[in-house]
Amino acid sequence: MKTSAVVSDTIGPHPSTIGEENAAALESVRRAQAGDVDAFEALYRQHSGRIYALCLRLKAGDSTDATELMQDVFIRAWRRISTFRGDSAFGSWLHRLAVNTMLENARGERRRIARVLPMDDTSRLEGAARSSGVDLRMDMEEAVASLPQGARLAFVLHDVEGYQHQEIATQLGVSVGTIKAQLHRARRLLRERLER
Amino acid sequence: MSHEVIRHLLDDYVTGDLADDARAPVADHVAGCEICRAEVEDLRRILAKAAELPKSVDPPPEAWQSIRASIEREKIAVAERGERVASWWQRPSVVAAAVLLAVVLSSAGTALYMDRGDSAAAGSPVPTATTAATPATLAAFTVEENNYLRNVAVLQDMLDQQEASLAPETVAQLKVSLRTIDEAILEARLALARDPANQTLIEMLSGNYKQKVDLLRRTTELTRGS
Repeated sequence: MKTSAVVSDTIGPHPSTIGEENAAALESVRRAQAGDVDAFEALYRQHSGRIYALCLRLKAGDSTDATELMQDVFIRAWRRISTFRGDSAFGSWLHRLAVNTMLENARGERRRIARVLPMDDTSRLEGAARSSGVDLRMDMEEAVASLPQGARLAFVLHDVEGYQHQEIATQLGVSVGTIKAQLHRARRLLRERLER
Repeated sequence: MSHEVIRHLLDDYVTGDLADDARAPVADHVAGCEICRAEVEDLRRILAKAAELPKSVDPPPEAWQSIRASIEREKIAVAERGERVASWWQRPSVVAAAVLLAVVLSSAGTALYMDRGDSAAAGSPVPTATTAATPATLAAFTVEENNYLRNVAVLQDMLDQQEASLAPETVAQLKVSLRTIDEAILEARLALARDPANQTLIEMLSGNYKQKVDLLRRTTELTRGS
């Protein structure tokens, strides 16, 4: 299911698959907004699995990087929880924050990568991935982790998380055509790698 | 449409993003083309596998302790910063400035009163922007400048606390804008030191301060709205 949100400066909202807000969760949000860290921990316990799964995929299966990203997301969530007004489910708000945090990091990473190799030449990254042992038969999770960053980002956000082309393009500051091209590439690489 | 053109449309065909008028010709081609049919099947399989990926994975058990420690550190830092803001008015330098200001205002007020009396009596024209500033104008500006500086300090402190909620690009742009305004303030201040009676310079400096306060205020509103 794809989202139908109007494109804004933030990505999302996430599809409603995250779950309905119950009264206990809303009470935890209210208490966390008042500065109650225990209440915020309850929210963490409820949502960290979903956020960690997203972080893990966006960080190519690297659990150290994924844990750091998830921690960054929850620390940001604590700082900004007073801005949560309940217009969407807390899980959706948190998920959106996670994607935005990751994309901010990705923009920094992209600039770093751009200094060492041209952005349109990811064949060397793919070559590096192949030579690092991914040419064995893979399961889907490993195959996604082996994708070049741009293709992985597009695939995880679009095909796994359900965001629209336009939302991803806006947030990444690229055209819809670029996102579609990355998706096309991601799916072909996955096909190739899963067939081995 | 040729086979090569259609191959580039297969992603959108499979995900349902293809425009209605292009859908039928692609479907016709796929039905008769073994290569494209195999590719469509593979794409569908990839998408099905993507949908089957687990939506939740347990994070390392120790991850929360690190988050909690960061939160507690931030709470302490915010509390300390709050105390610093509260004590801003009690700093010796601020008290000294306030005393000096009171003296200046008192003197300027007297001078203004006397000046007005003299002007009214002599029927003097109202000073233009390029004429020499009166002590009253300088005093008024001193009050204004202190108001701006106070507002800037409070807004800057609020912004420091909320900076993390802004996009890095916004923060970078804000810093560039503030640096530009600060340079303009410095230039006007130096020029005013050389020509303290220049009303135009006072107006320029006042405008620069206003711009800085407006920028900070708008940015803090942005953090509240984000």
